[in-house]
Amino acid sequence: MSEIKAKDFAPTGDAGEEKDAAKAHFDNLKTNKPRPPKPQYAVTIAVSSRTLFNMVTERKIYEDQGLEEYVAYQRDHENEPLMPGPAFPFVKALMTVNARLRQLYPDSEELFDIVLMTNNHAQVGVRLINSINHYGTLHLQPDISRLARRTAAAAHTFKGSPLYPNLHTMSLQLPFPLSDLTIERFCMTGGESPTGYLEAYMTNLYLSKDSEKVSEAIEEGIAAATMFMAVKENELSDTQLRVAFDGDAVLFSDESEIIVKEGGLDTFFAHEKKFENTPLAQGPLKCFLEALGKLQRKFYAKNERLNCPIRTFLVTARSAASSGARVLKTLRSWGLEIDEALFLAGAPKGPLLQKIKPHIFFDDQMFHIEGARELGTISAHVPYGIGQKYNKGKLIESPAKKK
Amino acid sequence: MEMVSTVQNTDVKQKDADRALVVAVTTRAVFDAAAGDVYGMGVAFPLLQKVNERLLEKNPAESLLFDVVLIATDSQQQSSRIISSTSHYGLEVGRFCFSSREDLVETLVVNNVQLFLSTDRDEALQVSQKGVLSALLGRQEAPSESLRVMLCGDAIVRPDCDPVPASRGAAQSFSARLGEMRGRFGVSGSPLSIVLVTSSGGSKSCGVALQTLRSRGLSVDEAYCLAGAPRGPILSLLRPHFLLGDGVIDLED
Repeated sequence: MSEIKAKDFAPTGDAGEEKDAAKAHFDNLKTNKPRPPKPQYAVTIAVSSRTLFNMVTERKIYEDQGLEEYVAYQRDHENEPLMPGPAFPFVKALMTVNARLRQLYPDSEELFDIVLMTNNHAQVGVRLINSINHYGTLHLQPDISRLARRTAAAAHTFKGSPLYPNLHTMSLQLPFPLSDLTIERFCMTGGESPTGYLEAYMTNLYLSKDSEKVSEAIEEGIAAATMFMAVKENELSDTQLRVAFDGDAVLFSDESEIIVKEGGLDTFFAHEKKFENTPLAQGPLKCFLEALGKLQRKFYAKNERLNCPIRTFLVTARSAASSGARVLKTLRSWGLEIDEALFLAGAPKGPLLQKIKPHIFFDDQMFHIEGARELGTISAHVPYGIGQKYNKGKLIESPAKKK
Repeated sequence: MEMVSTVQNTDVKQKDADRALVVAVTTRAVFDAAAGDVYGMGVAFPLLQKVNERLLEKNPAESLLFDVVLIATDSQQQSSRIISSTSHYGLEVGRFCFSSREDLVETLVVNNVQLFLSTDRDEALQVSQKGVLSALLGRQEAPSESLRVMLCGDAIVRPDCDPVPASRGAAQSFSARLGEMRGRFGVSGSPLSIVLVTSSGGSKSCGVALQTLRSRGLSVDEAYCLAGAPRGPILSLLRPHFLLGDGVIDLED
């Protein structure tokens, strides 16, 4: 952790004076990072500890040896930063958008606000905070592997000093503002389900690995999804947040999906044609798309449409010819834009998503989630609507233990 | 001539004066004068008692227990009525002190009170300014499994401000004793829950508060870092029984 101390401690005359160092440390805590936005103006994303960080090993300890052992293990390892989890690239992309927003609108509170929302015990929280801080200081040390791939020819000698092994990369020209991992708010409930706190923190989107908690949130009217790591890692943009949505039962209600399940495709096509000009009812993720659109318009207002760091995608099994029109008309009636609408007419979503490379892909059907994951897309399952009962693959099992 | 008289409650086994965690509460906080009902403290009382029971279950010779002193400062209240009401509601009060408002702080000091509980913000503030740790009692609408003690983390991280709050020393020693008590129980199923809330400052400073408390022997169970977000909605969910901070924090923000 010596890198952190070097950055955060202001130089003092008497290095042994603990009190001065503590005061300087506290002052630096106040001035170093930008203040988090006021929740009522921000787009608040709540992430669980297991979506932000990879806690697979720790989870196993909890399941095999119980809570006390798990907490003790976390305490013993609290100075070891956790590895990134499935929501990590998404959160980093949100920070990139924030950096761009702050450049254009320095006084605005309309930013992304990330809250760590976990039912972990506060003693585990120390490790979580340390891990957040570890990645928070990495803005001085950009992701070395990605830069290496880009500058492969020039970068064959990676030698650095032991303290700052990546120091030499700072001389590279970077065309975009670097962003910290800034997570200033959290909620560690010590065992209770955190879903009760989602509203209190004015959450716009909740991401968790626990499908029960996600379902509870959706029932409370909060956009939520269960995250799944991809089987392999696609290289994702670090200048643009890319979010892909399924249509039915995600952005829209499941009314049309019910017709497919109960009446078959022909009935569905006929129905959609007949009701083409009737907007579909909204689905659980509609409000999140709306929030993204609001932020996008801030870039458009400053002539940044071509360089907008947010891009949205609709990836639907509907086909453009027969049932697609209703979807586009519905979005228009809501005053919402989507940057790219991709109609697959029933084809698998995996390959297309592999090309789009979103930071997150929302779908209500596990079948599509699995397909996406296999080809490298980080996916988030929305447990809503009729699709939950008719899945082809295995049923969604909620884990036996709640913690 | 003013007299402070202390009466031991013979219905209750007396605690070890040196080792017990002495908590004082006024009759006003316990009994609603008009209805004779047991108020906010009425909810906290059974939970305090449950902590004591669980401690004694683990170790029948346990001396680190809550010892409640009930203080009557209103000369209008009849001592006999107070004692009989206490008995009627089965409240585990160790001692009764019949005092006056002017002598309240002295009464607290003489009785080695480590924590003074009140529903009256001014009274709590006054006591706190004289160096005795005070906390406000939270209104409870829903039942709770454990006694929830909330600490305001901003006070813990704040570098020594001038003047240092009078009750700072009392707060530190109380949290150490409380930590010892909490440490008798495991991570889950504890009848005592320690909740940390930081209002300003980011996640790093809340982390510092967690580690500072741990170094004093107090392991926090739940932590909420607001970083400037409004406190009201969170506090109404957290429903602490006692809220401690630098000076006195108002629970109904």
